Amino acid sequence: MSSEGGNGMMRKNEEQKALTLDQVRTKLEGVKGKRYWRSIDELAGTPEFEAAVAKEFPDAAAEWVDPVSRRGFLKLMSASLALAGLAGCTKQPDEPIYPYVKQPEDLVLGKANYFATAHPFATGGVPLLVKSDAYRPIKVDGNPDHAYNLGSSDVFTQATLLDLYDPDRSQHATVRGTTTEYVEFLEAYRERLNAGKANGGEGLYFLSTSFTSPTLQRQWAEAQKAYPKAKLVQYDPALAGTAFAAGLNPQFSLDKADVILALDADFLSGAGYPGFHKLTREYAARRKNPAKGMNRLYSVESTPSTTGLKAEHRLGLRASEIPAFAAALATAVGVPGVSAPNYSWSAEQTKFLSALTKDLKANAGKSVVIPGIYQDPSVAALALAINKALGNIDATVSLAGEASTSGDQIAGLKGLVADLNAGKVDWLVMLNSNPVYDAPADLDFKTALGKAKVSVHLGSHIDETGAEAIWHVPAAHYLESWSDVRAYDGTVSVIQPMIEPLYGGHTAHDLIQAMLDEPQTSAYEAVRSTWKSTISKGSGADFELGWRKALHAGWIEDTKYAASSAATAATAIKVPTPSSKDAFELIFRPDPNIYDGRYSNVGWLQELPKPVTNLAWDNAALVSGATLTKLGVDEGDILEITVGGRKVKTPVLVAPGHPDNSATLHLGYGREAAGRVGSGAGFNAYLVRTSDAPFYTTGTAVKVEGKWGIAVTKSHFQDLRSKVEGGDGSGTHSLEANEAETRGVIRSATLEEFKANPGFANEGEEHPKVERDNTLFANWEYKDNAWGMSIDLNSCTGCNACIVGCYAENNIAVVGKQQVRIGRNMQWLRIDTYFEGDLAAPKAHFQPMACQHCENAPCEQVCPVGATVHTPEGINTMVYNRCVGTRYCANNCPYKVRRFNFLLFSDFETESLKLMRNPDVSVRSRGVMEKCSYCVQRISEAKIEADKENRAIRDGEVVTACQQACPASAITFGNINDKTSKVATLLADERTYSVLADLNTRPRTQYTAAVLNPNPELAEAPVEHAPAKG
Amino acid sequence: MATKDIKPEDPRIDPKTGEFRVLAPGFTFKTVTAKIADIVLTPTTSLGWFALFSVGGAVATLVIVAVTWLFLKGTGIWAVSQPVGWGFAIINFVWWIGIGHAGTLISAILLLFKQQWRNSINRFAEAMTIFAVVCAGLFPLIHVGRPWLAYWLFPLPNTMNVWPQFRSPLLWDVFAVSTYATISIVFWYVGLIPDFGTMRDRAKTKFAAYIYGLLSLGWRGSVRHWVRYETASLLLAGLATPLVLSVHTVISFDFAVAVIPGWHTTIFPPYFVAGAVYSGFAMVLTLAIPLRKFYKLEGLVTDRHMDNMGKVMLTTGLIVAYGYGMEVFMAWYSASHWEFFMMWNRMFGPMGWSYWMLIACNIAIPLTTLWVRKWRTNMTFMFVMSLIVNTGMWFERFVIVVTSLYRDFLPSSWGTYRATKWDYMTYFGTMGLFTALFLLFVRFLPMIPMNEIKMMLPSAKITAKAKPAVGAGD
Repeated sequence: MSSEGGNGMMRKNEEQKALTLDQVRTKLEGVKGKRYWRSIDELAGTPEFEAAVAKEFPDAAAEWVDPVSRRGFLKLMSASLALAGLAGCTKQPDEPIYPYVKQPEDLVLGKANYFATAHPFATGGVPLLVKSDAYRPIKVDGNPDHAYNLGSSDVFTQATLLDLYDPDRSQHATVRGTTTEYVEFLEAYRERLNAGKANGGEGLYFLSTSFTSPTLQRQWAEAQKAYPKAKLVQYDPALAGTAFAAGLNPQFSLDKADVILALDADFLSGAGYPGFHKLTREYAARRKNPAKGMNRLYSVESTPSTTGLKAEHRLGLRASEIPAFAAALATAVGVPGVSAPNYSWSAEQTKFLSALTKDLKANAGKSVVIPGIYQDPSVAALALAINKALGNIDATVSLAGEASTSGDQIAGLKGLVADLNAGKVDWLVMLNSNPVYDAPADLDFKTALGKAKVSVHLGSHIDETGAEAIWHVPAAHYLESWSDVRAYDGTVSVIQPMIEPLYGGHTAHDLIQAMLDEPQTSAYEAVRSTWKSTISKGSGADFELGWRKALHAGWIEDTKYAASSAATAATAIKVPTPSSKDAFELIFRPDPNIYDGRYSNVGWLQELPKPVTNLAWDNAALVSGATLTKLGVDEGDILEITVGGRKVKTPVLVAPGHPDNSATLHLGYGREAAGRVGSGAGFNAYLVRTSDAPFYTTGTAVKVEGKWGIAVTKSHFQDLRSKVEGGDGSGTHSLEANEAETRGVIRSATLEEFKANPGFANEGEEHPKVERDNTLFANWEYKDNAWGMSIDLNSCTGCNACIVGCYAENNIAVVGKQQVRIGRNMQWLRIDTYFEGDLAAPKAHFQPMACQHCENAPCEQVCPVGATVHTPEGINTMVYNRCVGTRYCANNCPYKVRRFNFLLFSDFETESLKLMRNPDVSVRSRGVMEKCSYCVQRISEAKIEADKENRAIRDGEVVTACQQACPASAITFGNINDKTSKVATLLADERTYSVLADLNTRPRTQYTAAVLNPNPELAEAPVEHAPAKG
Repeated sequence: MATKDIKPEDPRIDPKTGEFRVLAPGFTFKTVTAKIADIVLTPTTSLGWFALFSVGGAVATLVIVAVTWLFLKGTGIWAVSQPVGWGFAIINFVWWIGIGHAGTLISAILLLFKQQWRNSINRFAEAMTIFAVVCAGLFPLIHVGRPWLAYWLFPLPNTMNVWPQFRSPLLWDVFAVSTYATISIVFWYVGLIPDFGTMRDRAKTKFAAYIYGLLSLGWRGSVRHWVRYETASLLLAGLATPLVLSVHTVISFDFAVAVIPGWHTTIFPPYFVAGAVYSGFAMVLTLAIPLRKFYKLEGLVTDRHMDNMGKVMLTTGLIVAYGYGMEVFMAWYSASHWEFFMMWNRMFGPMGWSYWMLIACNIAIPLTTLWVRKWRTNMTFMFVMSLIVNTGMWFERFVIVVTSLYRDFLPSSWGTYRATKWDYMTYFGTMGLFTALFLLFVRFLPMIPMNEIKMMLPSAKITAKAKPAVGAGD
């Protein structure tokens, strides 16, 4: 199709929908050079899309009052909160009280304490070091000494801080909706337990999220002895049915792997994958110095993830094809006894398979196959078999000998519902779970729950289940209570409370302990007794010493899983046949931001642009461009998805690289009782998720009237230039992508190119590095420190942990969906995502972008009141108190990293949020500009320490919040005056370039260009790489 | 210089010069004074005035409502966002200030150049300047995030020893605009003094006589008064003349000093000044045409004025067109990708319509038609043209402010701009405010300088035999 013809076709009729993906691809093939693009909007480029864009622009900014936004609630809520609880802190008791004249030994006001603890996440504990100011936890970060995560964290872990201070947490026990006291419940509960002693606890049921705590497992085991007929069902909506929940928890060591294959395994984008922190760190470590060789990542995946987009080679398959592909691969690498389903693979897929097989075989013992957890369990079994066949076991994969299992969660829940319906359930105690919301739709849990004689809900919120249950007991947060948890590698961390329960919450430990002989034993005692023997053994029989050591360090020695190479002989693996190619497939995944819905009410996570789609505040049916066309919809239209008679309405959004004829639905949205932030956001995908198909299913989707109004933080515009330049608007040219390349914003090369030309990243630069200090005006002089940052684009996986870390460290406000829609999100740090190549099989470049701290800063010059100034250490600093809000600096910032408080975005009223704030950082009020400060408060702290010791700040002493959170160690910060510092070395690297260097802003934050290591066999049609900048 | 379309025997033509007459024949000192002063001193106010004043006042309340809400809630009620940090407020500011320029040009530069035709339109053009500056000055104050601290832009001594940042063009703006407002008001007031004397003497009520008496500062019309008056006028004209050029130059620095493609342009100062005069004359026409119709001032504000103002617009319009042309040329000639992309995006990007709107209103329509004298003296045509040019000049500022910002350096941060009802309310509200203020001026002050008109009469020519033709009352 000539562009002329295409043009005509476009204009003449409405049949442009017929422009297929193949045609678009054909166009793309004719284009030279790298083709970056940022949003599918550009690539779609159809006139109707254009029209939709015109219609769909975020409407009038004026609607500051969004009735469902959190802001609207604030005024109402503040009054009730003042009455409810925390505000009590602000009033002194009537009786005389005395301040302490002698401070407690460990408390110096204004100086934070750090405590080791752990975040008990469903896929494994994350060891933490929590910053506590005057006994209030104010920042959650990874434990830098812990071998598992070495200080890194993830979005969920970072956000648990806001979860702790969530003002919507339930504050009182209730019975049938009326407030009561916990003791009232305890009396009733004990009475029931005493009565149950006689019949072994018959009719006593417990439903819980997966037990992550070994102590809780022990307590339950003991309780089970006392009440042999009491039943426990564990159900985690995201993990139910996975091989992981069934106890398969292989340990991967990517530091030894040259070739990595991810089989629908999204191990780079977040803690939803077990071992995320370690895997990401090891993956990135092998890419930091390409000259010394680097690993190669293949990804075969359904839902596009950052793992797939970072991969050298990505094959997008429908979810049901992946087990078959894994079986085909197993056969190819020589796993005996696998009967791969007969399936007609396309030429491209066959080529991928053969190249992959060859590469894996060539790297036997140095390769690893990582199975996705939200897949048919056969994938995990096949991956294990392939690893075994390749001799990777004990090299890159080891098997945990004693992984805990919560059994077949789905069968357990089904059994519970059957018992409920049969009237067998006398008491149902639900521990930290929300089955009314997240149980499979076919079980109709809500109706079944009504049949329990007494239902108890222990939860942090009066959520959907809490509202249905007869008793509700507020749960204590993990930062408020004692417990323990195993990390991915099995190491046990004791969870120490950082603060007394804000609302007097209780834990599962309390409720299970109540069944035992000593019902009053606290969780603290319980945890101690669980580990008494282990700790005593390790510390020469001095338990107290060992205990203190464990609390101090954050883990208990010698609790790592013992490696067991005795992999079970691969019994016949049953591989499901892929669904028909015409069937419309639906993939269910926990949301990358709010997981299974447990973080729905965490504003930081709601507002966080999701990886790949940059969608905030909603979930959407993610589809490919071709499917979008096939369904006859545009982004933001509403689809009605039907699965076996169950229906749900979803907005539709394109995810570049999504397999055709399928849609991904993220779980966790559509909450009705999440709280002021989460209620009403998105749609509830659980409504169409059934117990027999927890990961993917088939269904239908039809367009229904209306527009959803989604908030996507990337550009809403599409390319018009292709039309002007004689193109047909088909998306052949993607304006933003072309611009990103032309402007040298993103620079990358293949390993071959890099070897041939190590200085590729600065090639064609109009303003060469060596000339940058030659200026007309005198350069700034830096006597002591000059702060700088290096960001390694090869390591960054776009997991967003840095952004949430920044939220917590810098008291950043949440603005709400309407404000995000018009571009007023306040994140100081964003991750710019630029796609490259074929729109159905793209690569992506993730570029964390925050204030660049320019040497020659355009913002500093234009501020009329001098509110943004250059410090003697080269930081471009904001003086909030001086800012009058002309926004001139933001206009003049070429990187657009300044954020303005257009309205009163910060919450000054909610009491609980005040406790959370970092006291070293101002909470910005309305009308003030803000931006990344290089965590200047941390620099000051280090300076004070150094001054006291009369020394210079050591390299690595100042760690910014983003750097601290990053599991890939992509961010390095330090003193560039010290030529031996890590950052100075990195900035001097040949691969390091400045974004927009030709503007002579001379940014302090510079980027290390990415190098990819493609398999020559799978090389795309030779792409002529233009000079990085030119 | 009669052209073909106007016959030399046309009564509007002064046979001596071949130009349109500046004053219709037949005016005497008495009739001039009566004509102008009676508009003010009549006890009856026309219903039309009341109707218009009500409309203007009602629209002006919009700005009060909008600004109240703005102060309560913050700039977020407007459409400004990331990356478009400036919107209607700055557009309107530049637009109003630009409009003001014609008044100063007429009162100062044309005075120095002894262009007598300026006398008839000088007073209300200057009033227009002041009211436009009032409207303009509102915006920088309210557009800041914390308007209660806007005074920090002034170099006020304080205990903290904190001064404004003198490198910022916004600070230069503060000086430029405040100087401009001061000089304009003083110049205008000084020019009014002899006429206040006349009004005092002709006032029919004691109250009016008292007020005008106060305002006339004891003007008696003595020769010494006149000498001082003339000297003051000249000095003020000398002070105001550079301001005509400097104010908009400084305002253009707000943009030219920035790094944003589309702002970072050396051609801005002359192009802004020309644009300001262009829009200013358009606004003078917008005001003069209905005024002369309703108050039957055709004899004082003649076709000569219309013709000349048309010519000024044509000239400044051509300069502006040259500016646009050079922007496009430099986008190509500079070989700068930023410039090229910016220009392409302005023309063909999602907001391209605004660029073509500007080209149509500022160039395509006026610069093809204003060449024809017959049309320049056609009041309907000129009135419509003045509205078109003012629309076009507003779009010029919209194009400069918004279309440069919404797609700048990093494609990841591209955004959009869509004005909200509060933006429109503030904008239209200032138009109402301007209308209301101008109507008050027309009702209570002599809108044409009587003394200056009278000096143009043949009887004012001092000959050896004649008595000095000065007198206040009559």
